[in-house]
Amino acid sequence: MIQAESASLLYNDHGKEVWACREIDLAVKQGEFLGILGPSGSGKSSLLYLLSGLKTPTSGRVLYNGQALGTLSDDKRSELRLNAFGFIFQHPHLIGYLTASENVQAACRGKDTISETEELFESLGIGDLLHRRPHELSGGQRQRVCAARALVGGRHAIFADEPTAALDHINGLKVVDILAEHRNGGSLVMVTHDLTMLEKADRIVEIVDGSLVQMDRVP
Amino acid sequence: MLIAGIVSIINSIPLSIRTIYSYSKHYLGVTARGQQEKIDEIRDILTYNAPVDVSNVIPARVSEAEVKSIVGSWPFVFLGLSGDDMQLYLDRVTGGAPLDGRLPISGRPEAVVSRPVAKNLRLGMGGIVMGPSNKAGYSRQEVEIVGIVDSEEWVLFTSYEYHHENHFPPIDVLLAFADDPADQEEFDRWAEKAFEGSSAKVFAYHNLEEETNEMFATLYKILNVIIFLLVSVITFMMAMLMSIYLQQRVPEFGLLQAIGYSKKSLLRRVLAETLIVLAGGWVIGVLCAYGMLLIVRAKLMEPNAFMLDPLDKAAYFYSAPVPLAILAAAVLTVVLKFRKFDPVAVVERRLI
Repeated sequence: MIQAESASLLYNDHGKEVWACREIDLAVKQGEFLGILGPSGSGKSSLLYLLSGLKTPTSGRVLYNGQALGTLSDDKRSELRLNAFGFIFQHPHLIGYLTASENVQAACRGKDTISETEELFESLGIGDLLHRRPHELSGGQRQRVCAARALVGGRHAIFADEPTAALDHINGLKVVDILAEHRNGGSLVMVTHDLTMLEKADRIVEIVDGSLVQMDRVP
Repeated sequence: MLIAGIVSIINSIPLSIRTIYSYSKHYLGVTARGQQEKIDEIRDILTYNAPVDVSNVIPARVSEAEVKSIVGSWPFVFLGLSGDDMQLYLDRVTGGAPLDGRLPISGRPEAVVSRPVAKNLRLGMGGIVMGPSNKAGYSRQEVEIVGIVDSEEWVLFTSYEYHHENHFPPIDVLLAFADDPADQEEFDRWAEKAFEGSSAKVFAYHNLEEETNEMFATLYKILNVIIFLLVSVITFMMAMLMSIYLQQRVPEFGLLQAIGYSKKSLLRRVLAETLIVLAGGWVIGVLCAYGMLLIVRAKLMEPNAFMLDPLDKAAYFYSAPVPLAILAAAVLTVVLKFRKFDPVAVVERRLI
C-alpha cells in the first residue's frame, strides 16, 4: 500500500547538510502494524514524515497505492492526509478553543462523524470528556483524544510518531493498544525508541543514522 | 468611530453654513454699490431682461446681525421688509410655514425670527433680538420678537420702515424671485453675468456654495493628511496585533496542516475570519459612532441649533480605509507566514 523506494531526506541544518534518511526501501502492507524503532536522532520521525507525505523525499520516491506522493500538489497531498491517513504525534496537540469532540471532528472536514466520535470516546474510556476543552484534560486524556482523531473516519493508515513519549509506561501501552485495536483494518505505522511499546507490532524495522539496519524483525 | 466622529464634526461647519444661509437660495439679492438712484434701473433689468419669468422684485434693507456657531459668531442677515412683502418673503422662503405671533408693525422695533434663530439666540416670544447693547446685533432701539416662524430656514426681519430709520447702509437691496423656484439658479447665474462690471452687486446662493467649497478645500486636504496618518498608525498597530494573534495560532495552523488541511484552505479560513472580524468591527464602530453623534447632536448641538448629521455618508466613507488597510496587512502577514511554513516544525514543537 505504501512503498518507499530509495527514499532519502536531506536537511539543511544552518548551512550544513544532514541526511535524515538514506536510500530507504520499505513497504507498509495493508492492515499491518509496522513498528519503526530507533534511538533519538536516528531519523525515524523523518521516515514517518516521508511515508505519510508530510515531507517529500530529496531523492527516491514514496508511493501510495502506486501514486508517487512527491508528484502530487500540496492540495492533493493534503487531501490524501485528511481523508486516508490519521496522525498522532509525540505531543498531544489539540486546538485550544475547540472541545475534545470538535477537535476530533476537525479531522473529518465535511463528514458527519458525531456518532462515530461518541462511540470512539466510549471505547477509549473518555466518553464523559466529549465536551471538555483541552485545558481541562490530563496528558493521557489528551493523547486519547488525539488517538480518536487519528482513528475517526476509517483511515487507511495511521501514523504515530512516538505517541507514548509524553506518557507514563502504563498509559503509553494503553494508547498503543487503542490504536492497534481500533484501526479497523487500516495500517498502523508507529515510531518509537521503546521496544516494549511494539509488543503488538506485526513487524519491526530499526533505523540508525538514517538507514534501515535491520529489517523484518518480528517481535 | 474616531475617524467618523472627527469627519462628521468637521463636516458640521460647512453643513451649518449651508443651513444657516440656505434662505438665500430662494431669491437673488442685487444692490447698487453706494448708489440708491440706480435701484430702479436694476429693478427694470431684473424684471424685463431676465431669461426666466420673474414673479416679484421687492425692495429690502439689509444689515448685519450675529448668530452663534461651533466656531464662534457668524454674521447673519437682518432684513427690513415692507408691508405685504413680509408675507411674500415668508411664503417663498419658508413655504408658508405657520407663524406664531404676528408680523412686525411698520416702523416699530419688532422682528420675526424662525425657530432655529430663536433657539440659536436662546430667545422666545418677546425676547430682544437686537438692541443698543445686544451682542447679537446693534440696533438703536431694543428690537422685540413678535413672531416666530415654524420653519427650518433661518429668518430674521423687521419692517422696512424701522430698518430704514435705524440701520446702515441707506441703500435698498432688491430681492428677486423667479416665478418657478426651479429656475432660481438659472436666474441667479444670468444676473451675475448681466451685472458683471457694473455698479450692481449680486448675492446668489451658488456663490455661497462655491465659496464654502473653496474655503473648506484646504481644510479637507489637511483632514485627509490627518486621516491618512490615523489610518497608517491604526493599521500598523492592528497589523502588529494581527501578527501576534497569528503567531499565537501557529500551533493550530501547523496541526491542521499536518492532519491534512492545505495551505490554501487555511489561508481562506484565516482570511474569512479576518473579514468577519473586520466587517463586524467596522459595523460596530459605525453604530457606536452613530450613537455618539446622536448624543453629541442632542446634548451639544441641537440646543443651539448647531448642525450635525449623524448619518453623514462622507464620515463613514472616511472610516472605510481602516478595515481595508488592516485586511491588506493581514493578508500580507498570513501569506508571508504561510510561504515557508513547515507543519512538522510545529508538531515537533520546534516552532512553539
